[in-house]
Amino acid sequence: MALGRRRGMGKYIDKRVASTFKIQITSMVDMFVILLVFLLKSYSTSPVNINPSDQLTLPASSSTKDPTEVLKMVVSKTGIFVDDKKVVDLKDGALATGDVDSNDTQFIRALYSELDEQVKKSRTIASQNSELEFDGKVIMQAERSLPYDILRKVMYTSMMAGYSDVKIAVMLKE
Amino acid sequence: MRALKSRIDDSTFELNLAPMLDIIVSIIPMLLLSVVFTRITVIDTPVPQAVEQAVAAANEKNKDLIQVRMAVAKNRNVQITIVDHGQSKDYEVAALNAKTDLDGLYKQVLAIKKDYPDVFRVELNPEESVPLEEIVAVMDSVRTTKSSDKKVVFTDSTTGKPVETNLLLPDIIFGNVAGG
Repeated sequence: MALGRRRGMGKYIDKRVASTFKIQITSMVDMFVILLVFLLKSYSTSPVNINPSDQLTLPASSSTKDPTEVLKMVVSKTGIFVDDKKVVDLKDGALATGDVDSNDTQFIRALYSELDEQVKKSRTIASQNSELEFDGKVIMQAERSLPYDILRKVMYTSMMAGYSDVKIAVMLKE
Repeated sequence: MRALKSRIDDSTFELNLAPMLDIIVSIIPMLLLSVVFTRITVIDTPVPQAVEQAVAAANEKNKDLIQVRMAVAKNRNVQITIVDHGQSKDYEVAALNAKTDLDGLYKQVLAIKKDYPDVFRVELNPEESVPLEEIVAVMDSVRTTKSSDKKVVFTDSTTGKPVETNLLLPDIIFGNVAGG
């Protein structure tokens, strides 16, 4: 009985058509082409990539000038960072009294020390490589709600350290 | 008849999409890695080369003769002062709903540019409490003309030829940074 059943199954297997089938991929290609067009539109060709941190909201502007590869400075509500290194603590966007110079209230000492180090480093590189030169440019990414008071102090200290060309990073307004 | 049948058979074929799919699947991860959803730019002077030289020459010529100063007060009133050969003129753009009247400011700057077409530099002096977003908005509204408005025509001091530009006051410097 069992043998008979097996024979019947074998008959069925023999009769089966070879298991080749074609996947219908037209709709998948359609989807990929749409995705490709979208990604190509938002593809960045800028050599410099600035990723603002989560705690930072940059102001929106219509300026379309692409950033260049220069020193990056971040001024958020929690602190001042130079090349991702925290140099000054801020409490809700305000400086502590001890952070500014007693003789010059616009001068942030810790920021000056770090920027001065950066200037020395850039000048050493420039002395070794004739193609590079120190041009005193710095990109400042600052929280949009911060008052001009703190930004002025940062710009003043940068200027004193030798970074006189401060560029303000903004989010492009579409 | 047989020939017609053969032709009909030839005209139906299946396009092999597999290689195309391979290419797309390779490109998509690369594009996904380099995609940017928010573009970061910097505030600078987007000036074409020919105009840039004319603007630089005009700025140099007017450096000590004509100066434009713009003060943004904490109540968001904007005061524009023009010092023309020692004589000063003041214009005030009052705040609108406790915010800077950007349209009013733009119209005022456009009117000033009619009298001073070869002035491109402005000294911006915001008060300490003015937030950065307000300063950037002010800078944006005085940088260029809107596409619906006529372009500014000024004479290139080096060539003597008229130059047409959409720039109003693109050369913005913070005047009160070094002042302490």
